[in-house]
Amino acid sequence: MSGHSEDPIAEESKRFFTFFNLSMFLVAITGIEIVIIYVQTFDGSYIIGILFTTSVLKFIGVIWWFMHLKWDKILNTILFLMGLVIAVFTFFAVIYMGDTHPVIDQFEVTALTDEWKSDKQYAKGDFVKIGDSYFQASQEHTSSEKFGQNKKLWTKVKGIPHQFSWKITQADTVEIHSEKPENPFFLQFFPEDEELVEGTQISLLAQSATTDDFRIKVRSEAFWTEN
Amino acid sequence: MSEAAAHSLEHHEPETSTGIPNKKVLMWAFLGSDCMFFGTLISTHLIYRKISATVGSNYLDIRNVFDIELTSFSTFILLASSLFMALAVSAIHKGNLTSTRWMLLGTIVFGAIFLACQVYEFTHFVHMPGNELTLSSYRGEPHVFGSTFYVLTGTHGTHVAIGVFWLLGWLVYSFTGKMSVADALDVECCGLYWHFVDIVWIIIFPVVYLMEYAF
Repeated sequence: MSGHSEDPIAEESKRFFTFFNLSMFLVAITGIEIVIIYVQTFDGSYIIGILFTTSVLKFIGVIWWFMHLKWDKILNTILFLMGLVIAVFTFFAVIYMGDTHPVIDQFEVTALTDEWKSDKQYAKGDFVKIGDSYFQASQEHTSSEKFGQNKKLWTKVKGIPHQFSWKITQADTVEIHSEKPENPFFLQFFPEDEELVEGTQISLLAQSATTDDFRIKVRSEAFWTEN
Repeated sequence: MSEAAAHSLEHHEPETSTGIPNKKVLMWAFLGSDCMFFGTLISTHLIYRKISATVGSNYLDIRNVFDIELTSFSTFILLASSLFMALAVSAIHKGNLTSTRWMLLGTIVFGAIFLACQVYEFTHFVHMPGNELTLSSYRGEPHVFGSTFYVLTGTHGTHVAIGVFWLLGWLVYSFTGKMSVADALDVECCGLYWHFVDIVWIIIFPVVYLMEYAF
């Protein structure tokens, strides 16, 4: 907002070079944008960053010099910026509203209380209950008549095995935690396939628990869903 | 540039409380509101591009449809037209009618070339064998991409067309013998509108076209 000089004709003549240089700058920047897309040297996120930066530079160049904001009173800049700021906020608001909300289709926690049985095929990692204790198979085998005969194939575990299972639509972060301090549990992971997150996990808990003892929180971009 | 021109540069609009001619304030307020208009159109396009990224079970690869060389060319044309427009405003401020006419003509021609490229592009997209992109479908299957794309770029094209007719009006007026430096403010408002159309394209080109090639 430097205002006009005393010789307006000379001032206008000087602007010719400003306009010409700016025009060359705009053409060069646009050329760089196109070359970056053609050579495909950078990752997608870098390309978006570069395009954003070059667009902002060109935008500022045009409004500041071509549209005379540099020489005009500041009210014009304020008027335009008001609209621009509202537009930017509108842009992010609409983008935010358009994000996909995560949906928890299924979440269950069940205790594994299968009693050991004779003459049964067990896979490595299977859990069984004998009395008040829990054991885990260290290798695949078929059980004998008595547990004592296969004792070397089983490892006693501390805690009660529970199976957590979930099915979620659209998630980039999943958190599961226990609501009972005496039965601590926390699991957080970031699924690679964000569209459909489906899985199970067996964990050892200090006490027997049900689904209601846990909370699952799922995030997709800006949105959190929990139950 | 004569004394007459220098004298005419001193021509003042009626004084206003803001110190800025009312027409200019009005134009800037309009451009601010138009920012919001294009802001919603661009964000709508981006959202639907994201949530409707597939056609059937296949990813919508719109690069099969776009002709980036042609769009790059029309982008350079529109940028060049902005230089002509800035020089036209500068010329009318100096009272140089001949130069104003040539610069207005340059802006009009370049604006018309941009429009011709867009008309060709739209026609080409709609009738591209095997990759037809219509307002409501892609390759014959219902899809929203065409709606947001044509509405956004078509609205911009309509703005360009309005600008071309406005400039054409000034060019014709310049031959009536009535045009003088007293019209500089009106030509400047027309120039503001034209540059705005340019900055909207500065956003649309990378966001709608180039980003398709980023991944």
